[in-house]
Amino acid sequence: MEERTKKIREIAKRLLSEGRVDVVLGYRAGTVPLKNAPYFARTPEEAENFIWDSHGRINLANFLPQRQDRVAVVAKGCDARNIVNHIVENQIKRDQVYIIGVPCQGMIDPGLVYEREGRLIEEAIEADGRLIVKGQGFETTMERTEVLRQNCRSCAYRNPPLYDELVTDPVPEQEGLDPYEDIKEFLTRPNSERFDYFEKLIEPCIRCYACRDACPLCYCAVCFVDEHMPQWLGKSIDPRDKMTFHILRAFHCAGRCTDCGACEAACPMNIKVRQFTRRLEMDVKELYGYEAGLSPDIQPPLTVYRPDDPQDFIK
Amino acid sequence: MADMILKKSALADFIKSLSGSYKVFTPSREGQEVKFASNQGKVLLDFQNTLLSPKDFFFPQSERMFEYSTDPAAADAFILKDIATEPEPRLVFGIRPCDARAFVILDRIFKNDQYTDSYWFARREATTLIGLGCQNPCPTCFCLSVGGGPFSEEGLDVLACDLGETLLFKPLTEKGQQALDKAEGLAEADDKTSQEAARIKEQAEAAISSRISTDKIDEKTVMELYEAPHWEVVQERCLNCGVCTFVCPTCHCFDIQDEVAGKVGDRIRNWDTCMSWLFTQHGSGHNPRADKTSRVRQRFMHKFKYIPMKRGGDIGCVGCGRCIMLCPVNIDVRDVVRDMNA
Amino acid sequence: MEEFQPKIIAFLCNWCSYGAADLAGVSRMPYPPNIRVIRIPCTGRMSPKFILEAFRRGADGVWVSGCHPGDCHYLAGNYYARRKFALFNDLLSFVGLEPGRLHFSWISSAEGAKFARVATEVIKAVKAAGPNKRFAKDRVKVA
Repeated sequence: MEERTKKIREIAKRLLSEGRVDVVLGYRAGTVPLKNAPYFARTPEEAENFIWDSHGRINLANFLPQRQDRVAVVAKGCDARNIVNHIVENQIKRDQVYIIGVPCQGMIDPGLVYEREGRLIEEAIEADGRLIVKGQGFETTMERTEVLRQNCRSCAYRNPPLYDELVTDPVPEQEGLDPYEDIKEFLTRPNSERFDYFEKLIEPCIRCYACRDACPLCYCAVCFVDEHMPQWLGKSIDPRDKMTFHILRAFHCAGRCTDCGACEAACPMNIKVRQFTRRLEMDVKELYGYEAGLSPDIQPPLTVYRPDDPQDFIK
Repeated sequence: MADMILKKSALADFIKSLSGSYKVFTPSREGQEVKFASNQGKVLLDFQNTLLSPKDFFFPQSERMFEYSTDPAAADAFILKDIATEPEPRLVFGIRPCDARAFVILDRIFKNDQYTDSYWFARREATTLIGLGCQNPCPTCFCLSVGGGPFSEEGLDVLACDLGETLLFKPLTEKGQQALDKAEGLAEADDKTSQEAARIKEQAEAAISSRISTDKIDEKTVMELYEAPHWEVVQERCLNCGVCTFVCPTCHCFDIQDEVAGKVGDRIRNWDTCMSWLFTQHGSGHNPRADKTSRVRQRFMHKFKYIPMKRGGDIGCVGCGRCIMLCPVNIDVRDVVRDMNA
Repeated sequence: MEEFQPKIIAFLCNWCSYGAADLAGVSRMPYPPNIRVIRIPCTGRMSPKFILEAFRRGADGVWVSGCHPGDCHYLAGNYYARRKFALFNDLLSFVGLEPGRLHFSWISSAEGAKFARVATEVIKAVKAAGPNKRFAKDRVKVA
């Protein structure tokens, strides 16, 4: 962690002082434990504020669409894949963005830490692959690997597929994982059980749209939830309107989602909204052999077709 | 009105004795979430605060205001009819003093010289609030800097203090006294106990480490604050999601919509958020808050400048710290106020 | 008991399936009257929003039909649509839309008989699925 922090600061300072970029996007320490904050450095002095820890829950690619300046981004595997997406979707030019690639060892899920602890955590320290959390009258040490985010556990692209510079040597990729094991199991359950599951899943949703706003894919000038002529869904907490929102939000990510988990990390109610997108991600891989954000030269699956695409479901 | 004392072992019976006269809500833990619920077996006392603010007791996220028939053949077609709501008497046990203070701020907003929001006040009047003094404030709490405190009595009918083996109840209003009169298991507290509660209060106040200053905001003009450069820095990472406003105990903006199903129309009021682009979108297509900067600025200006200007200096924030805990990009209201006050 | 008569929204492409419906009509081919047709320029124009909106507004079934692959008036609209439909169909089924509620077909404007046959099949399947309770929004559910 310290090594990565040091190297990120070094690179950022170099890029800013040489005038290679106008701004560097990274993380700085947060004011609450287990959460850090996106940070924009414009001077070499500001670059001193950058850190690298296990709490980079917001995908920094989110801040790129339609930028006019030259920008360097601190990017782990999934962030880099989302930058590739942006390049493919013409949201930013390749030569405008400098990717500071960070081989990633996974991020921590604050929800899991809280689940284990069950009380307010006031301080969190990371050292030697362990996480030490402290609160009023307690101190607990846990292994980092035990409280990693779900999407990090099944991540197959910890190293950025596209970068201008790497801050450390690549980390070994996790081999032999089936990231969709639970989805496959879920599909075997009766359809009514699946509906009940999803209805219950989104029951706590307060429609703050943080999942949408934290998602790098959601950059539409006017989102379908804000369209009002016609208005596609009601504004209340009616369960059917909530369901419509979640289905459509997920579908807009079809063939583009990198499973970075920013949606879940942003949710104040701790709703596992990735359940919606992961089915699509699995489907896109199975039907069209595509995984999002691996190369700027591959066309995304919904912008192309093959004459012999599967169509068993069509009469 | 005398202070009363209750053995914690009798708390369940105390709640039960009140449930004849009120629908009683107590704090409970569901998964990781602390929230108020009725009919709980066990009353949760060991908690910091509820995840969401309890404003929905009086201002639900969605509520039906009127209904009407859309059947052109009906005699009363398109005539709005009030939803006849006689709010049930409720009692909330364990509400935090910061959240109760938020209701006082909102009382003044939901009523002015022209209008009174009957939906808000009908529920307010029918509800008795027994607060629970905050003995272990969170590191994000800054109630003392915005006119409140961990044992603030504003907005409460009764204030309870946890003394370990017992709970001390201090009635503050007639309504509160009436509730205590109905409850079983209470005994009059002696002076020593009341002194112990005063000591705990002092301790709790000392435990609040987080402070902000707002003195210079008063001196600055609206335009000075409005045009300050720090908004550009805050907006840069703001996602413009609605988390801060929806979890905030004093945010109160709403949107009214008509929803028609078959031949029935409903006029619904829903929480809305100034972070949303649609919130200020005009029918003409013009949007006075078209950019992120103006939207994120609005929230802080409203709480720390506009409300104090209109309400004799009272700040529109109670320092509960929820927005700090839940903001996905860690925009910390304390930092923002520090910049405003600089 | 009276048999359940579903409401089905059919989104038909202007150039093929809408013509097929027309042909089925002028050829006096019978099929049950449970279908309300919405004409769309091309299946490529179909937004998943339309499908969800139909269900939300109380349709018991939705049927989308366009030109056969290779026959699109706009050359490739239906090829793009096919990928969208495959994913959307799977997503809706995943979140618990009952089998038999959502249908897709390719019917050319010369296939009046196929139109009548598929319409009959669709109606039968939606009847079997029963009234749409999960995704239809009747009166708003709020406090």
